[in-house]
Amino acid sequence: MRKLVLNLRLFIDGALLSYIALFRWLQPHTYLASKVVMPLAQILFFTLMGIFASGPGNAAFYAIGNAIHLASINGIYGVTMSIGGDRWSGALPYIFGTPANRLVLFSGRAFFHVLDGMLGVIMGLAWGVLLFGLDLSQADLGALALTILITTFSTSGLGLLLGCVSLVSIETMFVNNTFYFLLLAFSGANIPLTEMPGWMQSVAWALPLTRGIAASRQLIAGSTLAEVAPLLAGEFLLGGLYILLGYSLFRWFEFQAKRRGTLEAF
Amino acid sequence: MKPGLWRQHVRAGLAAFEVTLRINAPDSFVLFTIVVQPLIIAIMAMWMLVERGAANALYVVVGSGMTGLWSTLLFLGGNSINWERWTGTLELMVGQPTPVAVIVFGKNAAVVFQSLLSMVASYTVAAILFRQPLSVEQPLLFAVSLLLTMVAFVSFGLVIAPLFLLSPAVQHFQNAIEFPIYMLGGFLFPIALLPGWTTPFSYLLAPFWAARALHGASTGGASLEELAFDWGMMLLLGAIYLLISGRLIERMLRKARSEATLRLE
Amino acid sequence: MDAVEVRSLRRVYRTTIGVLRRKAKEVVAVDDISFSLRPGELFGLLGPNGAGKTTTVKMLTTLLIPTGGTALVLGKDVVHQADEIRARIGFIFGGERGLYWRLSGIDNLRYFASLYHVEPAVARKRIASLLELVGLADRGKEKVEGYSRGMMQRLHIARTLLHDPEVLFLDEPTIGLDPVGARELRQVIRDLQAEKKTILLTTHYMFEADALCQRVAVINKGKIVALDTPEALKSNVADLAVVEMEVFGVPQDVLERVRSLPFVDTVSLENVDQRQSLRVQTRRGSEAVPDLVGVLSGLRVGRVIVREPTLEDAYVRLVGGEA
Repeated sequence: MRKLVLNLRLFIDGALLSYIALFRWLQPHTYLASKVVMPLAQILFFTLMGIFASGPGNAAFYAIGNAIHLASINGIYGVTMSIGGDRWSGALPYIFGTPANRLVLFSGRAFFHVLDGMLGVIMGLAWGVLLFGLDLSQADLGALALTILITTFSTSGLGLLLGCVSLVSIETMFVNNTFYFLLLAFSGANIPLTEMPGWMQSVAWALPLTRGIAASRQLIAGSTLAEVAPLLAGEFLLGGLYILLGYSLFRWFEFQAKRRGTLEAF
Repeated sequence: MKPGLWRQHVRAGLAAFEVTLRINAPDSFVLFTIVVQPLIIAIMAMWMLVERGAANALYVVVGSGMTGLWSTLLFLGGNSINWERWTGTLELMVGQPTPVAVIVFGKNAAVVFQSLLSMVASYTVAAILFRQPLSVEQPLLFAVSLLLTMVAFVSFGLVIAPLFLLSPAVQHFQNAIEFPIYMLGGFLFPIALLPGWTTPFSYLLAPFWAARALHGASTGGASLEELAFDWGMMLLLGAIYLLISGRLIERMLRKARSEATLRLE
Repeated sequence: MDAVEVRSLRRVYRTTIGVLRRKAKEVVAVDDISFSLRPGELFGLLGPNGAGKTTTVKMLTTLLIPTGGTALVLGKDVVHQADEIRARIGFIFGGERGLYWRLSGIDNLRYFASLYHVEPAVARKRIASLLELVGLADRGKEKVEGYSRGMMQRLHIARTLLHDPEVLFLDEPTIGLDPVGARELRQVIRDLQAEKKTILLTTHYMFEADALCQRVAVINKGKIVALDTPEALKSNVADLAVVEMEVFGVPQDVLERVRSLPFVDTVSLENVDQRQSLRVQTRRGSEAVPDLVGVLSGLRVGRVIVREPTLEDAYVRLVGGEA
């Protein structure tokens, strides 16, 4: 029992600290710029491009895809910075050295980003409703919320994996930026999967977001939770897989670093 | 200004140009902004627009090239002075006799020149991956439009570089304004899709006129009068930017000297 | 005309403390100082860290705008005629910043040479000879990111001489250099002075000011507490002798008792490795020794020397002693 409470404390402390440290420069105008204007601009740009291509009738397709994609802002940037941030502040040796349950610590970091990511997606959908007449009346909002949660969870999983890569490479931002845009292109957010060549579709299904976006579109069109359950289950499992991979990589680096005494070189 | 001094300024500007090219070459952020992002946008636009017949491949190449040009100018050119502060060389820059405006001009020219690679990258993708026809209708007019585009962008950079000194939270602002200019500039879709009240803003932007001229000259849809008008607007705006940039840079640097912010403490 | 003229120069920094309830705090870094440099003079600005030396130099090199007073370099105002000054002065601030890491040493120098309007043919020759002078001739082609701190400092020195300036501002130039390098640099500084360049040198090394400077201004907490030749400053303490005692840990109250002795002028304590050196300035010289040892009774005392005061002791007296 005591161990559970301890772990819980660790989880919350780690998550909160990580989040606050990252956004300590948070002020109204920077929050506005990052969390409101930028996502809005992205949704507008691709949806309008989509409308230019295929008429206003298809606006919903793009609006939904781009709104859900916003989950990757927190999932990728937020999470990898939390991991990589250790390196820059030199806290890494201390983290590796503590007997804390590392999986708990690890997950704690992602937790608050999942919450913040959900908020971002919900705002994105709100823009869709306000600006493009997105119709949510047919949707099971509870199921939609669940979809958003699972999707942000799985993108955070990718973020954790990328975060580990950031521990050994200094090209973190390049990797983050590239994946962010690759998701935009290949998760079905803007391009229907059916229009992609076969091999590319396989790649798409291996990425987070793809199932989440597909499920969201179906739900908003009126499907039931039961009908999208396979997609949601897949997204959830995929997220878990990424987390596991990320965690294994984290442990492997830790082992290597301890063996070679190169923790500081991280 | 004495002719000798003019020559020295030109030489200093060229030195800044060359140094910037060299420093940027191995930089991964530069690579992303100039090549990777426009490339992915090009691929997306090819699928979204060309496959549906809304536009031809050349439109996408030019449009995605423009997005690369703007992002480059915003993040690389716009941070010309900030970058010197971050690397600790701003004090030396301010304390030497060549006007900082000349150095910023040289740096912006370098990044704008490098960002032409965006168009080359998109062109390659369109030609090889998508196997699209890509012949420019009016090559000479296109070349002139491209030249004027570079001039307009470089001079716009001279205005945003000092403005970006104003706040330490500038990068958030830069992130926020990146995509809006893609839209207001009509890079990958006509501004008719935007609400009418945004049109005056588009008209104030050199990138808008540049995109119009380049799209017009490449797809042959524009008459010579229309192109001349676009060029005229680019030259006018460029001149205005150049005129205000000198005083603006001086004022911003004076402010930094007063507030002791030339150096990051 | 003086090469540098400083009149009631003042610089105040405003900072805010606190996050929610912001309170403005004013720090006076430079407090109404005045001094002048004659052309061709090697002038020293001596003071502890945080005394205001760097702030003063930044104002003179047009990088910082004064809050009050005026400063003229070569007859031009540092605020309103900054452009005219910049071509004719050179400056160094200590540290690793101020160079382009991705470029080689030579490329850095070439870039600065063009900014300082040095003709390319002249620049080429000068760069070669300057690299020779600072001992970087064989490392010039390497990228600066691979340089050691000392090498970067030396490159800065080469940089500052590229355009053959009339006035040099050297802010702690020997920091980061090994003893041999520092000695070589001091010789370079002497040679530059022989070429009739005006040099303002800041340092917190007393012996450096003593060895190089024709006149020294001692600055502490933003104010000039003394301005004279090194000899004159030393004569200020000529009547004092310095009793230097090797001690091994002196508690604060004992220190206070030593300080309160009537014949004691100043007391300073310096840590060297594991030992401490207690320095007492007193007119009584060796006669004071028994009394001092008496006050320190019970404590271990090692070597005791009575010696002539140096510029360092004059300095300690001027800045009020440290312990």
